[in-house]
Amino acid sequence: MNCQPKDYKSDLKPIWCPGCGDFGVVQAIYRALAAVGRPPHEIAFVSGIGCSSRIPGYTTAYGFNSVHGRALPIAQGLKIANPDLLVLCAGGDGDGFSIGGGHVAHAIRRNLDLTYIVMDNQIYGLTKGQLSPTSKLGLKTVTSDLGSLEAPVNPLLYVLSYGAPFVAQGTPADMAGLASVIEEAIRYPGFSFVNVQSPCVTFGEDDWQLKQHKAVMKSVASLGHDASDVIAAMRLAQAYGSELYTGVLYRAPQPPSTYDALVRERQAEQQKKALPRERILELFAAKKKETAA
Amino acid sequence: MSHDLVIGMAGSGGDGIVSAGESLIAAAAGAGYAAIMTKSFGSQIRGGESSCRVRISTKPVLNPGGTLDVAVALNWDDFLKFGAELPVGGNTVVIYDAKTGVAPDKLPLGAVVPEEVYPVPIDALARQTAGTDKAKNTVILGLLAGWFGLAADDLLAGMRKKFAKKGPELVAANEKAFEAGRNYAAEHPLREPRFMEPAPPGEPKLLTDGNDMCAAAAIFAGCRFFGGYPITPSTEIMQFFTREVWRHGGAVLQAEDEIAGIGAALGASFGGVKAMTATSGPGMSLKSEIMGLATICELPLVIVNVQRGGPSTGLPTKSEQADLFQAALSAHGDVLRPVLAPVSVRDTFGVTVEAFNIAEQYQTPVIILSDQEIAQRKESCDPIDTRAFKLVDRLQPSAADLEKYVRFRFTESGISPVSAPGMPGGNYLGSGIEHNEHGDPTASGGMHAKMNEKRFRKLDPLKHRRDLFETYGDPRAPLALIAWGSVAGVCIEALERARQEGLRARLLVPKLLWPIAEEVYRDFFAGVQSGLVVEQSHQGQLYRLLRMQLDVPKGLQSFARSGANPFQPAEVVARLRETALAVQRQGAETLTPVE
Repeated sequence: MNCQPKDYKSDLKPIWCPGCGDFGVVQAIYRALAAVGRPPHEIAFVSGIGCSSRIPGYTTAYGFNSVHGRALPIAQGLKIANPDLLVLCAGGDGDGFSIGGGHVAHAIRRNLDLTYIVMDNQIYGLTKGQLSPTSKLGLKTVTSDLGSLEAPVNPLLYVLSYGAPFVAQGTPADMAGLASVIEEAIRYPGFSFVNVQSPCVTFGEDDWQLKQHKAVMKSVASLGHDASDVIAAMRLAQAYGSELYTGVLYRAPQPPSTYDALVRERQAEQQKKALPRERILELFAAKKKETAA
Repeated sequence: MSHDLVIGMAGSGGDGIVSAGESLIAAAAGAGYAAIMTKSFGSQIRGGESSCRVRISTKPVLNPGGTLDVAVALNWDDFLKFGAELPVGGNTVVIYDAKTGVAPDKLPLGAVVPEEVYPVPIDALARQTAGTDKAKNTVILGLLAGWFGLAADDLLAGMRKKFAKKGPELVAANEKAFEAGRNYAAEHPLREPRFMEPAPPGEPKLLTDGNDMCAAAAIFAGCRFFGGYPITPSTEIMQFFTREVWRHGGAVLQAEDEIAGIGAALGASFGGVKAMTATSGPGMSLKSEIMGLATICELPLVIVNVQRGGPSTGLPTKSEQADLFQAALSAHGDVLRPVLAPVSVRDTFGVTVEAFNIAEQYQTPVIILSDQEIAQRKESCDPIDTRAFKLVDRLQPSAADLEKYVRFRFTESGISPVSAPGMPGGNYLGSGIEHNEHGDPTASGGMHAKMNEKRFRKLDPLKHRRDLFETYGDPRAPLALIAWGSVAGVCIEALERARQEGLRARLLVPKLLWPIAEEVYRDFFAGVQSGLVVEQSHQGQLYRLLRMQLDVPKGLQSFARSGANPFQPAEVVARLRETALAVQRQGAETLTPVE
């Protein structure tokens, strides 16, 4: 199918502030989806709550803008129930690493074939500027007037340590690069994670906007990084917060079996013992009916 | 001759008391009796005291019975720990291990003096015949077969099957132990024979518990996804799915927590698949937010709450009916969420199928309020004709609808056709945020009001579902009983006893608890002067919901008490009599005279 990025753009007008990084993210997603070429009705896009979680509505895919922190469980149930779908999952850093942080580890170890995009802006934008789990130590916000007392979560190291088989980072400051890692993530047969440094123009730090991204971002490929080396990937991930690395940090060379594939195998194997549902109560028969010899 | 026998047994963890109960009910079911078996344990995971009660009858049984006809104690310390769960009366045949050294006239039963007491060398017989005290439970089965004529052939056949895997020596040893028990009974006949009448002929019985019945019904109804988290006393539902659902082309996810369990189920439902989750009170608290999401997204979802004692961890292994407020009312925003409750293991089948049908028909979450008593008791019950059940699937958009699909279209019924990912043209945004007909987010108060009205209006037909209520007794009697869940079975029996004692009463058993079907209650209340809403909770939650929604008869009272204290038919009758007398004293003339 010959798909164009515009085929994935809905008529809904984004609520984001002018200059928000998320505009770039949604553009990159249109491009990645066009490159992958699945028609919109075969795509399901699940999100949580937050500025970034509005994103499914701006695509023509089936969207599910759910509740705060629960996008991953919903996306997994959907993928298991309907494994033919291309399932995307997205949210902010609060959704993924604070209120829904507990689900990430399990989504990784379960390894369904879906893509999780986190728009990481180090702040709570929708609620107007509170600390987020990726805010820097010492950051002053409306909930930390005197400076944050907590060290930030490192999303890259977090997912790598739980064994995510595909981990990448991008920024809308590099549209081509971002579209390309999202496309690669979608094509990867397993749980793929993309952390997008997507600055908040309203509540984010003035010295960490797209202009600065452009100046400091370094593609890991240009550093000669071997994306099949998980230890090297972790070393790069350590620099989260001080360096802005872009590109694929880790791609497990031998993708582990996905949960959805294992489910299909088990269904196929068990369906040899298929029992029509009308007969299910025979399992409880106190005395088996005499069967003809 | 007996046609109804209640046997209670208790011992230490390793005594195999529950295993004996399982063998007994399996044999009874095989022989065609109706039966109920409940078990009860101390809080230890292994060891400690354990007990079971088995009620066997020639007629369908709906509760585990009251005072025991037969009590079996391997030691008195353990037996007494179960207190009111194993009540002994004057007519109880008491059998205990002579090894306890307790004299028959010195039983530690306080003021209760049973007329027939048999100290039996149970431990000694087991050692003599099988060479081990592990066969004590087999000796007990032999005694019960001998004294009460309980399905000896089925017991022996079951035993052979059970021990076959462990080798012929064990089979032979247990056969000897069984014979020793049976011979002992033959040599020491009861004062009056209490042999069970043979079971009436009929179709083979079903033997299972409420949790397995619920899971089987769900699969029958077309449920192909289960997401959940282990929690007592509901876990067996998930366990059944993990064994059975694959071969029906479905899947089960043991999630990382309760929220993920219901989240995954809702995701599957969004994907067009019938889905469910099951939990108990603490899990319901955690799942509330996603239930609200299901309501506003108008997605079908079945949530089972197998109630246990609460709040918080409460009494995890005991039954209670105190989660009705939570099921009906626990939500932020205006939510109408149907709540159904089964009254027995057998009834769990139909109620579960109905829950899926309502969920699909009205695109709504539906709660099944089971309780530990029903969920974990075993029942030998009449077979169920699955052909009698119609299955409902959610309304799908037509080709014309899909040309310009409007997900939440305002329709006369309030039900809008729902697509699922994969369906060309059906693309829409499901959202927890309020939305317009197209699914686009909105902050408009006008649209919010219209959507709330739609989400409530579509459920209106439920309030006229008389088929979700059962009535018993004299429809014009001035005395009324209302009971739901496992307590309904106690009240059905209480009603019959009351009739025998000359008390005219009627009974309403709602299986649809919420929304309150006002017409059904109003009709039922016509001519009622007094009565009881019998519930196993401190507050009497259905009684209070009824008073919130309806004008109830002046004399209608709540007869409620906290969980883990099962109601018995006799006390319901006694309370009903008091209620009747109180009204009579107030000068109500139309009441039937009460002795």
